[in-house]
Amino acid sequence: MNKKTVCSLLLAVFLSIWGTASVEALTEDERNNIQIYESLAPGVVNITSTVLERDFFFNVVPRRGAGSGSIIDSSGHILTNHHVIEDARKLEVTLANGKKYNAELKGSDPDTDLAVLKIDAPPKDLVVIPMGSSENLKVGQKAIAIGNPFGLGQTLTTGVISSIGRTLRATGGTLVEDIIQTDASINPGNSGGPLIDSSGKMIGINTAIFSPTGASVGIGFAIPVDTARRVIDELIEKGYYAYPWMGASFMTLTADFARALKIPVERGVMLVEVVRNGPAHRAGLRGGNARAQVGNHVLLVGGDIITKMNGKELMDADSAVREIRRHRPGDRVTVHVVHWDGGSSTLSLTLGERPRTGR
Amino acid sequence: MDTPFGKALCHHLLIIAACFMVWIGAHEAFALISEEENTIEVFEKVAPSVVNITTAPCDPEYFFCPLPSSSMSGSGIILRDDGTIVTNHHVVAEAENIEVALYDGHRFAASILATSPRHDIAILRIDAGAHPLIPIVLGDSDKLEVGGKVLAVGNPFGLGQTLTVGTVSMTGRDIRDGGRVLRNLIQTDASINPGNSGGALVNSRGELVGMNTAMLSPTGTSVGIGFAIPVNQVKKVAPGLIHGWVKWLGWILGSIVVYWALRRMRRPGTPS
Repeated sequence: MNKKTVCSLLLAVFLSIWGTASVEALTEDERNNIQIYESLAPGVVNITSTVLERDFFFNVVPRRGAGSGSIIDSSGHILTNHHVIEDARKLEVTLANGKKYNAELKGSDPDTDLAVLKIDAPPKDLVVIPMGSSENLKVGQKAIAIGNPFGLGQTLTTGVISSIGRTLRATGGTLVEDIIQTDASINPGNSGGPLIDSSGKMIGINTAIFSPTGASVGIGFAIPVDTARRVIDELIEKGYYAYPWMGASFMTLTADFARALKIPVERGVMLVEVVRNGPAHRAGLRGGNARAQVGNHVLLVGGDIITKMNGKELMDADSAVREIRRHRPGDRVTVHVVHWDGGSSTLSLTLGERPRTGR
Repeated sequence: MDTPFGKALCHHLLIIAACFMVWIGAHEAFALISEEENTIEVFEKVAPSVVNITTAPCDPEYFFCPLPSSSMSGSGIILRDDGTIVTNHHVVAEAENIEVALYDGHRFAASILATSPRHDIAILRIDAGAHPLIPIVLGDSDKLEVGGKVLAVGNPFGLGQTLTVGTVSMTGRDIRDGGRVLRNLIQTDASINPGNSGGALVNSRGELVGMNTAMLSPTGTSVGIGFAIPVNQVKKVAPGLIHGWVKWLGWILGSIVVYWALRRMRRPGTPS
């Protein structure tokens, strides 16, 4: 062994130790978190909403709420939760660099709890959070939440995806589908902020409204980004998302009820009320016309029973809602109906647009 | 390049190149988040062995208990493929109808085989027929170290199967829970909520190290301080509960001793 070889060996050993030392200083997981925070945190904004309320003596009292939002394009559109901006008289957006802008509400959809705002900020201040897909998520995958919990200011919390594909009922009774559940801390104020995967793409919109105590218990929920993609364009364009509508209210007909009411069906969805001149009414469907008591429940009976929609068996009212939601207003759906007198027919109806309550 | 200098240079370059490649390689590997891969792998391995338990406790205030008042939920772990499930005693205490839901949604009625309130361990049995049951792999809770990764799988608030991840915060904790003292528990910061009780706490290899049991919290929900009964305790207690005759062993031995003592006392004239 000559001197040069020894030299090169020493150098090699030194280099490899130096190399591994710099790698080992932070674990890969830590570096991934830091990298995502540094690149995406400027794209998360704080939203301050001012709601005017009246106190006991009917004096107008402004109440301020805080939430989070993500910048979704370079023209200044911001995605957040509907409940963050609900009833707000004034919306103020603070970027991560501290600049404040008055925001304009472009549109909101209470059903999916999503809303889009717009600010007039120069494009250089706008860091866009790229949208990923919530289609192929796996339980156990890393989930990173960036937001403004309790109005504290920008905060990063990490966790894993705890479950996927869960359907929850929001306050108000609407179904929110395919919810992402995570153990990353989601607190009030995190609402509207992004849930990000390890590749730095948005996979969900955090929403704190389902927590049992009002604060994080390690069970946080996020609305999947695929749902957001579906509604965003229409929110920006029209200010609302048009839901398909059948013009009827219905209830699940379980096997027990069917037996008690002596209807020759196993399972289905019974129409309770049919809106006059609504799509269902025009197609000739009939709602309930008599009251009956089954056990402790008083039911409005006599309505048609839908057993199949587009060839699919309907298990319960939720599955009917889900099937209708797969379509757009104007689409035709075929329903298989069993009438109260025992006859059955297959007919098709054109879905309308769900009427919106004034806002 | 036949000169010694050329050879040395060659060596030199080769070794440096090799080093560089190792370094690059390390960086390349880090582009994938192995942490996530491990979590996903462990969940997929463990999930089929964790069940959701729904019980309908009887409300004693109602006349003859005509309706189950409200349902409560917990979790359980499949111990053996014959349908033996371990859970917490407090999950099935006062339970009237116990229903076990597997990971794939299949539901079975369960019966309580044995229960030990002192250890907060209960053994259930389901008859799954031909349905395959995947028992969990048991680990060794004595080898747990503070700071190690643990994963909790359970059914918090009856939501359905849920994964939460954290670390071992402390081992060997004694807590007072109601009237009893639970000893040697594992403390973790993985979120443990009501309904997680009886669920699995596994290590990063997917082996059972504990059974989630309790939490310390001012609100009754997770604040990041959860407790699990170590699996070694389960290993000690469960066989005695599964094989029911073991609990008569003490009585049998005791009666033999009493019988022997009585005979000695009765026999007159025997020098003692």
